[in-house]
Amino acid sequence: MKLKINDVHKFYGEGDSRVEVLRGIDCEIEDGEICVLLGPSGSGKSTLLNIIGGIETADSGCIDIGDDCTDDMTEAQLTLYRRNHLGFVFQFYNLIPNLTVKENIEVCAYLSEKPLEINDLLKTLGLYEHRDKLPSQLSGGQQQRCAIGRALVKNPSLLLCDEPTGALDYSTSKEILKLIEDINKKYHNTILIVTHNDSIKNMANRVLRMRDGKIVKNYENEAIIPASDLEW
Amino acid sequence: MRNPLNKRVFREIKENAGKYIGIFLILACIIFVGSAFMVTLRSADSSLKRQEENCMVEDGYFELFEKLPKEVEDAFASKEILLEENNYVIDNEFMGDTKVVVYDERKLIDLYDFFEGEDVKSENDIILDRLFAANHNIKVGDAVKLCDEEFKVSGLVSFADYTSLFKSNQDLVMDVKTFGVAMVSHDGFSRFDEGLLIHRYVYRFNDRSMLDREDELLKDMQKILLENGCMLQSFLTAEHNQSISFLKTDMGKDGPMMEVFIYILLAIIAFVFAVLTGNAIEKESVVIGTLRALGYTRWEMVWHYLCPTLLVTLVAAVIGNILGYTLMLEPFLNVYYSSYCLPPIDIEFSFRAFFITTIAPILIMVVINVALLYNKLVLNPLKFLRKDLKKGKQKKVVKLPDLSFMNRFRIRVILQNKVCYLILFVGIYLSGLLLMFGVGLGPLLDNYVDNIDETLPYEYQYLLKAPVSHDNGEKVKLYSVSTYSNKYRKDIEITLMGVEEESRFFAFDAAKEKDKAVISEPMAKKLHLKEGDAVTLKDGYLNKEYSFTVEGICDYNSSLAVFMDREVLNELLDSSKDDFNCLLANEKLDIEDDYVAKYLTRSDILGASGQLMDMFDTILKVFCIASVAVYMILMYILTKTVIEKNALYISFMKVFGYNSKEAGSLYLHATTCTVILSVIVCLPLQYISFVAMMDYITGMIEGYVPFYLPAWVYIFIAVVGIGAYFIINAFHVQKVRRIPMSDALKSRE
Repeated sequence: MKLKINDVHKFYGEGDSRVEVLRGIDCEIEDGEICVLLGPSGSGKSTLLNIIGGIETADSGCIDIGDDCTDDMTEAQLTLYRRNHLGFVFQFYNLIPNLTVKENIEVCAYLSEKPLEINDLLKTLGLYEHRDKLPSQLSGGQQQRCAIGRALVKNPSLLLCDEPTGALDYSTSKEILKLIEDINKKYHNTILIVTHNDSIKNMANRVLRMRDGKIVKNYENEAIIPASDLEW
Repeated sequence: MRNPLNKRVFREIKENAGKYIGIFLILACIIFVGSAFMVTLRSADSSLKRQEENCMVEDGYFELFEKLPKEVEDAFASKEILLEENNYVIDNEFMGDTKVVVYDERKLIDLYDFFEGEDVKSENDIILDRLFAANHNIKVGDAVKLCDEEFKVSGLVSFADYTSLFKSNQDLVMDVKTFGVAMVSHDGFSRFDEGLLIHRYVYRFNDRSMLDREDELLKDMQKILLENGCMLQSFLTAEHNQSISFLKTDMGKDGPMMEVFIYILLAIIAFVFAVLTGNAIEKESVVIGTLRALGYTRWEMVWHYLCPTLLVTLVAAVIGNILGYTLMLEPFLNVYYSSYCLPPIDIEFSFRAFFITTIAPILIMVVINVALLYNKLVLNPLKFLRKDLKKGKQKKVVKLPDLSFMNRFRIRVILQNKVCYLILFVGIYLSGLLLMFGVGLGPLLDNYVDNIDETLPYEYQYLLKAPVSHDNGEKVKLYSVSTYSNKYRKDIEITLMGVEEESRFFAFDAAKEKDKAVISEPMAKKLHLKEGDAVTLKDGYLNKEYSFTVEGICDYNSSLAVFMDREVLNELLDSSKDDFNCLLANEKLDIEDDYVAKYLTRSDILGASGQLMDMFDTILKVFCIASVAVYMILMYILTKTVIEKNALYISFMKVFGYNSKEAGSLYLHATTCTVILSVIVCLPLQYISFVAMMDYITGMIEGYVPFYLPAWVYIFIAVVGIGAYFIINAFHVQKVRRIPMSDALKSRE
C-alpha cells in the first residue's frame, strides 16, 4: 500500500520555548518499498515515524495510507488504523515478559482477521525451536526476531522499524536486516526503517535524509546491496 | 482465537501470589461471613414472619388485678378486637435463681411452634420454651416442679410472644440464663394457688389494617377499661413489648449495619486492587505502549488489567458463598438459636444475600477499578512507551524544609506513595475500630455495672399488686411514662419515682412541687438535659402530659427516672396521698406472695450486663481476630507494593555504596513512620467513631450506657497495630536484602 506524507508540521512546547520539529514533510513511499530514514539526533525522524504510526498526531498535514487518512482521526479511529495497517518494531523489542515467544506473536495475530500462519512465521524467523521460551531466555537478536514476528503476523501493509538494530551487535544486526529483507520479499510489505546507521541505506529502495525537521534528501537507491553484504 | 493476553492473567496472579492470596483471603472471609450472616438473617426473618402469621401473635396485652367483666369483652368484640384471657403464675426460684412464667393454655392468640414433642394434653403436661429448656438441660419427658406443682415436659416450643427472653420489659438486655417461659393445660393451670395468678388479657385486631389506626383504638380500649372500673396493672402494645419487638428491631438493624460494613470493606479492597493494578501499569508502561501502538484499544487494555481483580473476586465470591452456605451457616444459626427463641428456621435462598456477597463485590470492583484504570490508560501510546505517565503539566516539586538528607528522602518516598499510604491509613482506621469494639466493649459494660452498683441504694425492690406496708421497707410510688426524643426519633420510657421526704435510700431532696423534678443522671445524659431545662412526659394510660423543670440531677444509674416527693406525685396522678406500689429494702421482706407482682434483687439488676457480655463474647473475639488479620494483610500488600515500586532504586542505592540496611531504611523507615503516625492519628478518629456507634446503640436500647474506654484500650490498639507492622516489616527487611545490585546495572531504555 502506498504511503503518502502530506505537508506534516509538528510543534513542541509553548510560547518562547515553542519549537517546530517537523517543518512541512512531503513524500511518498511506494507499495512494497524498503525505505530508510536517516538523520542525526533531533532531526525529527522519530517524531515523523510516530506520526506515521498514529501514536502521535501532526499539528497540520496528514498521512495517507491506502484509502485511510490520519487527518482528524479520533483516538478510536487511530487505534483501528494501527490495527489494520501497521506493524511496529522497537529498538528495545518491548516483548511481554511473561508470555512465551509464540504467545508474544499471538498477541498481534489476535488483532488480525487473517493473520499469517504462526508456525510458518516462527520457522521463517528461526524461532520455532524457541517458541515456548520466555523472552528472558532469549538472546537480543532472538528477542528482536520475535518482535519482528509479532509486528508481521497480522501481515501489515506498513512495517515501521525504529532503530531495529540499535541494541544489537554487528553480526546480529546483519541477521536482523537480512530477515527484514527476506520478509519484504516474501510478504511485500512496505517497510520504513529509522536508523542512525548510514550503511543500512544501501539495502533500501528509497532513502530519506532529514535535518532540522526537513527532508533534505529523498532519492531512489539504484545500487541496492543485499543486507548480508552490508558493512560498517 | 482467544486473546493471548488472557494467559498473562493467571501468570500475573501467580507472580504476585502473596498479594493476591492476601486480598483473596480478606475478600473470601468478608463474603463467607457476610453470606452466612445474611442468609441466616433473611431465613430467620422469614421464619419469624411466618410464625407471626400462623401463630397469631398478639397486638398487645394488659394485666389487671381481677378478672375482666363480661361487658368489656363484648365491647372489644364489637370493635373487631379478638381477646383471650391468658393468665399466668411466676416461679421465681426454679432451680434456685431462675424466674419462670407459666401460662395457662392458649387457644387463639400467641400460639407456638414445636421443636420437639407434642402439645399439652393432660393436667400433668407442660411445654417449655426451647432455649430455656436447653439452658437448663431439660428434655422432653423430664419432670419439672414449678410453683410447687410437678409436671412432665411434653414438648419444646417457640412461643410467638417470646422470641426474646426479657425478664422485664424495662431490662436492657435479654436474660436467657435465668428466665424462662412455659405453658400448661387449663386443667394443669387450675392446680396453681389462685393467689399467685396474674390476670392477663391479650388482644389482636381481626383486621390487620386496623393497626394503621392503633393509637385511636388504644384510646378506645383504655376508655372502655376505665369506664368499666378495671384497675390496670399494665398495658403494653406488641410494638413496645421487647419480648416480641426486640428481635425484629434487632434483625432489622443488623442487616443494614452488616451491609454498610461489607460495602466499606469491599470499597477498601477495590482500592487495594486499584493500587496493585496501578503499580502494574507503571511497571508495564512500555508493554502497554507497545500493545496500544500495535492496535490494542484502550478498553481492551482496561479489560486486560481488570481481569486479575475480577478473577480473584469471582473465585472469592464462589468459595466464600460455598463456605458461607456450608461451614458458617450452622454457627450463625446457633448464635441466633442460643440468643433468641426463634421458631425452626428453614434456610432459604436470599437474592439480597446473593446480591451483597456476589454481585455487589464484582460491581464495586468493576466500577472503582474501571474508573481508575480508564483514567490511567487515557494517555497516548507514546507516553507509555516513554514511561511518561504524568498527565497534564509537570507537577511542581514540593519544597521541603531544611531537614537531613535521609529525612527529606523519606518524605519524598511518602509523597511518591501517597495513594498507597492513604489506603493503608483507611485500613488501619477500620481495623483499629473493629479492635476497639472488640476489646473496648467489655470494660465499657463493666463500668456500666459498677456505676449501677455504686449508686443503687437498696438490695431489694418489691413491686406490689396492692399496697402493703412493712417496717423494713420504704414506700415508693412507681409510674411509667414516656418522653419523645427528637434525637432518637422515638418514645423513651421513663419511670416516675415518688419517694419519701426523709428517705433512707435517696440522699437528695426529691422535688416537692408538681412542675419541678430531680432526674437521674442516665436520663440527663440520654436526653441531653441540664438543670433548668423543661421536659414533657406523656402518660399513655391516662392520656395526659406532665411538664417539669429539671431542678437537679442525681446519682442513680439503674434507670431513666424522675424523682418527686411521693405525696406530690400522687397528687399529680390523682391518686390518694399515701398511695404506693413498691417497697425498697436492704433485706428480704416477709410479704405474702399474693401482694407481690414481682421482686428484683441487686444481682438481678446487675446481672443483666453479664448476659450482654455472654451474648457478645464470640462475636467480639471474631472482631479482634478479623481486625488483626486485616491489619496484617493490608500492611503486607501495601508496604510490599511500595518496596517493589522502588526495587530498582534500592538496587541503585546499593551500587552507590549503601549497605542493605541503609538502603532499606530509606524506604522502610518512610513506611514505618507512616504506619506509626497513622495508628496514632487514627486513635482519636476511632474514638469519635466508637462514641458515635455507642450513641447509635443507646438510641436502640431502653436504658443508657455511659461511654467509657480505659487508657489501656488505646495503648493495646496502638501496640497491636504497630506490632503487626513490625512482623510484616521483618519480611520486608529480608526482601530488601535480596534485591540484587545487578538490577541497576542492566541496560535500560
